[in-house]
Amino acid sequence: MNVLVLSGYGINCENETLHAFEVVGFKGKIVHINDLIQNPKQLNNYQVFAIPGGFSYGDDTGSGNAMAKKILTNLYDQLIDFSLKDKLIIGICNGCQILINLGLVPSLNKKDPEVAMIENKSGSYECRWVDVKVNNNKSPWLKNISILNLPVAHQEGQFMIPINLLKSIKANNLIGLQYINNHKKLAKGQFPFNPNGSKDDIAALTNQNGNVLAMMPHPERAFYHYHVPNWQNNTSKKFGDGYKIFMNAKKFFA
Amino acid sequence: MTNTIQILSIEKTGKESSLQKEHNNKSIKIIDGYFFSTNLDDQKFTKISKLISNDVSQTILTKKNVNKVLSSYSNFNWVVEIKFLPGVTDNIATTVKEIIKDNLKSSFKSFELGSTKIILIKGRKEDITKISKNEANPLIQTIKIYPFKKYLNNFKKNQFKIEKVKLPKKKYSKKEINLNISDHQLSLIGKLGIEENDKSRRGTLGLDLESLKAIRNYFSTIKRKPTDVEIETLAQTWSEHCKHKIFSAKIDDIQEGIFKKYIKGATEKIIQLRKDNFCVSLFTDNAGGIEFNKDWIICHKVETHNTPSALDPFGGAITGIVGVNRDCLGFGKGAKPIANTYAYYLADPNKKYQLYRQKNKDPMLPANFIAKGIISGVRVGGNCSGIPTPQGNVYFDDRFAGKPLVFCGTVGIIPKKIKGKLSHKKKANPGDIILMAGGRVGKDGIHGATFSSEELDPNSPVSAVQIGDPITQKKMSDVIIRELRDENLYSSITDNGAGGLSSSIGEMAKESGGFIVNLEKVPLKYNGLYPWEIWVSESQERMTLAVPPANVKKVIKRFNARGVEATIIGKFIKKEKAIVKYNKTEILNLNMEFLHEGYPKLNLKTSFPKIKKEKKKIIKKSSLIDKLHKLISSPNIVSKEFIATQYDHEVQSTSIIKPLQGEGRVFGNATAIKPLFDDEKSIALSQAAYPQYAETNPYDMAGCSIDTAYKNLIVSGANSKKIAILDNFCWCSSDEPDRLYQLKEAAKACYDYAVAYQTPFISGKDSMFNDFKGFDKTGKSVKISIPPTLLISSIGVVDKISHLTKMTPDDGDILLVLGNTLNELQDSVYSKIIGYEKSKNPVVNSKDALRTYRNFEKANKLGIINSAIGIDLGGIGIAVTKMAIASKKGLTIDLKLKNKISVDQFLFSESQSRILVSMKKNKLANFKKIFKGSDYTIIGKCTGSNVVEFKDNKKIIRGKISDFAKSYKQNIKGL
Repeated sequence: MNVLVLSGYGINCENETLHAFEVVGFKGKIVHINDLIQNPKQLNNYQVFAIPGGFSYGDDTGSGNAMAKKILTNLYDQLIDFSLKDKLIIGICNGCQILINLGLVPSLNKKDPEVAMIENKSGSYECRWVDVKVNNNKSPWLKNISILNLPVAHQEGQFMIPINLLKSIKANNLIGLQYINNHKKLAKGQFPFNPNGSKDDIAALTNQNGNVLAMMPHPERAFYHYHVPNWQNNTSKKFGDGYKIFMNAKKFFA
Repeated sequence: MTNTIQILSIEKTGKESSLQKEHNNKSIKIIDGYFFSTNLDDQKFTKISKLISNDVSQTILTKKNVNKVLSSYSNFNWVVEIKFLPGVTDNIATTVKEIIKDNLKSSFKSFELGSTKIILIKGRKEDITKISKNEANPLIQTIKIYPFKKYLNNFKKNQFKIEKVKLPKKKYSKKEINLNISDHQLSLIGKLGIEENDKSRRGTLGLDLESLKAIRNYFSTIKRKPTDVEIETLAQTWSEHCKHKIFSAKIDDIQEGIFKKYIKGATEKIIQLRKDNFCVSLFTDNAGGIEFNKDWIICHKVETHNTPSALDPFGGAITGIVGVNRDCLGFGKGAKPIANTYAYYLADPNKKYQLYRQKNKDPMLPANFIAKGIISGVRVGGNCSGIPTPQGNVYFDDRFAGKPLVFCGTVGIIPKKIKGKLSHKKKANPGDIILMAGGRVGKDGIHGATFSSEELDPNSPVSAVQIGDPITQKKMSDVIIRELRDENLYSSITDNGAGGLSSSIGEMAKESGGFIVNLEKVPLKYNGLYPWEIWVSESQERMTLAVPPANVKKVIKRFNARGVEATIIGKFIKKEKAIVKYNKTEILNLNMEFLHEGYPKLNLKTSFPKIKKEKKKIIKKSSLIDKLHKLISSPNIVSKEFIATQYDHEVQSTSIIKPLQGEGRVFGNATAIKPLFDDEKSIALSQAAYPQYAETNPYDMAGCSIDTAYKNLIVSGANSKKIAILDNFCWCSSDEPDRLYQLKEAAKACYDYAVAYQTPFISGKDSMFNDFKGFDKTGKSVKISIPPTLLISSIGVVDKISHLTKMTPDDGDILLVLGNTLNELQDSVYSKIIGYEKSKNPVVNSKDALRTYRNFEKANKLGIINSAIGIDLGGIGIAVTKMAIASKKGLTIDLKLKNKISVDQFLFSESQSRILVSMKKNKLANFKKIFKGSDYTIIGKCTGSNVVEFKDNKKIIRGKISDFAKSYKQNIKGL
C-alpha cells in the first residue's frame, strides 16, 4: 500500500498527512508537483493519491484554482486514469478546493468544474472545530463512520452548487459529510456549526464511485487524542476522529 | 480585442457583505480585474479568462454583456478603481502570469499584467470616497474614482492601463561624494540623504554628524573620496536597527553598556550559576537557540515592525511575520518555522485621532484601518506559509495613536547534528560562492533600516514599505529545509532583511574575512535601479547562502526545479575587505573592521524623570457584578477569539494547548505545541508586557513582564529548568535622559529577575524611537510617544503531556489563590475603568514568587492540581470569571478577607506572581504539605451551577455565567 502525497507551491500539510497514512500502515512519499510532471509514470507505484491542505499559489484567482490549472495543463489525463482505477484519491481543504476546481468531484457530467468553492459567509478565515455527520455514502473513505469531530481552517469553504446539479448530487448520494449542530442535527447553515454557510451544510463531496473524496475539514489534524480540544477531560483513547478516515483507506486495500 | 479581463462573483461575496454592512448600502459590488500590457484577441481572451475564473461562481465581463450583467445587480453610478503603484509587489499578478505561461507556453511570450480591484456602488460621491479610504492605501495604491458611465466607456474603448515602473534610463557612472564640507552641509547628508546631480535628495541616511565625521576621517586617511555606495552601506550597517548603538553605548557609569551588563550579563551569570546549561546559541545568530531533546534544538526570535505598519498596516505586518520566519530559516544551517507569535499595541480603534504628518496634510491612517490591516497582514502571512500562529495578544492605549507596535515572533526547530556536524554552527569559507535565492530586487523598502531608527516625521520616505509574498518564501523555504540543508550543501546562510544584501553579506563575511560582490549579476524586478539601490534594497523573500564552488550547480538546479530563482552574485574571500563592483567598476572598498566597528560610540547620560502620577478618579459606585461586567468587556481583557479563529493554529498538526480553552472558549495566556510525532515533549509559549505600568516605575514594570511571561509557562506545565526568555524593548525618545533613565531601570530589572528565576535571555531586539511628531486637526504641532514597552516572550519545554494543565475545574473542586494579594491597584484595569484610589503599583517579590512556582510545579507533576489560570489583568475577579466561562461551571467565592484589604482590592488588585488553581478535596492534605510556608488562600469551590457567586458574612451576590460570557465575547468597537 503506497500513498503519494503532493507538495509544492504553497501546499503545506504534506508532513502530517503522510504521517497519518504511515501510522495506519501505508508506505508513502511526498512528491513535488514538478517532479510528478517530470515523471508522471511514477503514479503507477501508488494506490492512494493525496492532495493535502495548504495555500497553493496563495489562493490567488480563487482557492485551488491555480494549482488545478497546473494539474489540468500537465497531469490531467493521468489523474483521471488514476481515479477510474480501483484506487483512492483524497483532497483535504486546499486539496478539496483543487479537486473541485479540477472537476474530479462530483464529476457527474465529466467536463469542466461543476461546483465552485466560494468565500465563507462570515467573510473571514475560520479556524475552528466542527462536528460533521457522514451521509449514507458508499465511499470507502467514510465506511462505518457516523459522526466526526474535526477542525476546519479555511477562507473559502462554501460549496456553491447550481440547483439542478445539487438535485443529482443528492440523487446519486454524493454528499460525503455535512455539518451538524450541538444536538447532532444538521446545522441548517447556522454559524458556527456550519462555519462557512455551505448549502445543505455540505462539508465534503465524493465522485460517483466514492473513491475520490473532497473534504474541507482536516482529519490529519484530529489524528491523536491530544489534538482534540480539551482532551484533558478524556485521555482514554489514543486517537482522534480523523484516524478513522485513514484507517478506512487501509481497510480498502486490506 | 481587449486588454482587460474583469471577473464578477455571481453571489454576494463575504467581502461584499462586510462592505455593504459597514457602509449601510446594499448596492456594492466588487470586480476582480486584470490589465494586460498587450491586447488579447478573442481566442486568447477566452482561454485566459477560463484559466483565471470559475464559471460556476463567476461571470466574465465582456463588451457585449457588461451593461446587462451589471445593471442586473443595481443602477450603479460610482466606481473606484484600486491598483498597486508601479513597483509595489503584486502577488496575484505574479500567479496569473505563471498560470498563463504554463498553459499557453510559447504562444504568448512577453507581457506585463497588473491586478486591480474595482468597486461599484449606487450612492453619493461621498460614499465612494469613504469606501476608497477604507479599502485602499494611497501609499501603495492608486485610487481612481469616476462615474459609472465613464467606467463603461473605458471598458468599451480598452482604456484600462497597467502602470509599469518608469525609471529614467541611466548609465551609471561612479559617484564620489565630497565630505570636506561644512558641518551643516554634512548633517544635511545624514538627515536628507545624498544629493543627486539634479539637487534632489535620496532620502534619510539616519547618520548623525559624528558618524559622518568618522567616515570623513577614515577616507582622509586612505586618501580618497567615498563613493555613494560606501556611504549608503555604512549608513545601513551602522543604523540603530542593525547595531543597537544605544544598548551598546556607555551609559552613565556603565562602561560596557546595558546590553552587555544586564541582558547578556544575566545569561552569562545564569549559565555560571546553573550546571545544566540548555542554551545552544545566544545573541549572535538570527535567533536564540535552546536544547529541546537529545536530538533537536528549538530557536525563537521576536521582531518588531512598527514604522512600516504605521504607513501600510497590512504590508508592514505581513512583512513583519514572513521576515521573522526568515530569522528561523537563517538560524544555524536553517531551522524549520513551527510556530508564530504576535503582540499588537494599538490605539483605540473606535476613536478618531486625526493626526497629520504635515500641517493639514499627509494624515495618519485611521486607528481602525491600522488595527484591521495589522491583524490581516499577520493572518495572510502566517496562514499562507503553513506555520501555526497560536500565541498572541492585543493591547489598546491612546498613546499608540502615533505609532502602533507590531511584534512578530517565530519558533523554529532543527536537528542538533546534520551529517555529523553541529547544525547551529556555520561558517562561510574563503572561496565560497555568494548565492542569492528567492525573490528579485526592486526599489522596495529602500532606506528601511536607517528609517525605522528615526522618528516618523514629514521627511520619512514613503518608499520604505515592502509587501511580503509568503508563497515565494514558502517555495524557497521548502527547498532549503527539506532538500539542501540535510545534504550539507552550503556552509552558511542568513536572511535578507533590514539593509538587504549590504547587511546579510556584510554579516556573513565576518565568518570568512571579506567578500567581493558583482552587483550587475543581481536579478532585478525592473530595470533602472542604481547600484546603491540594489545593494541596500529590502525586497523580501531572499536568503543569502555561502556555497562551496563544487556544490553550486547542484544547489541552483534544486532551487530552479521548485520554481525558485537562485543567482551567483559574488564570493567570500579571506582578506578582510568588503568589495563591491558594478560592471567591473569598483564602487565599494572598505576594511571590514571599519565597516562593522568604525562608528563613533555613544556616551549616554540619564536623569531621573518626573513621575507622571495617574490622575485621581472618583470610584464609580456600582455593584460588584456590574464592575465585573465592565472589566471583562473592556478592550484589554475582552476575548480575542476573533483573532484566534482567523489565525490557523492547527496547521502542522502540533497544536496541543490551543489559544481558546475550555468548552466556553477562553483566550488563554499560554499555548503549547508538540512539534515531533515521536516525542511527547511539547513547547509552551507565552508573552507579557505592561506599558501601563511603565511611567510609574519602569523597574517594576519590567519585573512584572518577566514574572508574568515566566509564570504563564509554569502554569501551563513547563519544566522550570527549561524556560528561556526574549526581550523586545520598544522605547520612545531615546535621546532624552529621562527616557534613558527608564530604559536603564527596566534593563536592570531584566538582570535582577532573570537571574533570580534563572531563566536566560537567548535573543532580543530593540526599537528605540517610537514617537510621532506631527500635527493635530487644528494644525497645532503634537508629539505622541508610546509608553515604554518591554515585551518578554517566554519559551519552555514541557516534559510530558500529563504535565499540561487546563483552566477548567470540575464540580466539587476547591479553589485556591497561590501567592499574596496586596493593595496594588495603581495603573490597573480597575483604576482605569472604575476609578482610582490610593494604592501602589504591583511589585514582584521574586523570592515569594519562586517559592510559589516551584511548589506549583511539584504539585502539578504529582497530579494534585486539577486546573489553573495565571492571575493578571483584572486580578482574581477576572481570573475566577474566566474560569467559570471556560468550564461553564459555577463557582462560589468566599470574601472573608484578611490583611485589611477591601473587597475591590482583593478582587481586582493586579498583584503579581499569583495563580488561581482548583483541586479535588482529597488532594488538599498533600497540597498543604507541599505549600507549607508558602502563601495561599482557599477562596471557594466549584459548584457546577450556572452562576458565579460571591459571599461575605452578610450577603451573596450572583452573576450568571452566560451573561459574563456574553460580556467577555462582545466585539471590540471599531474592529
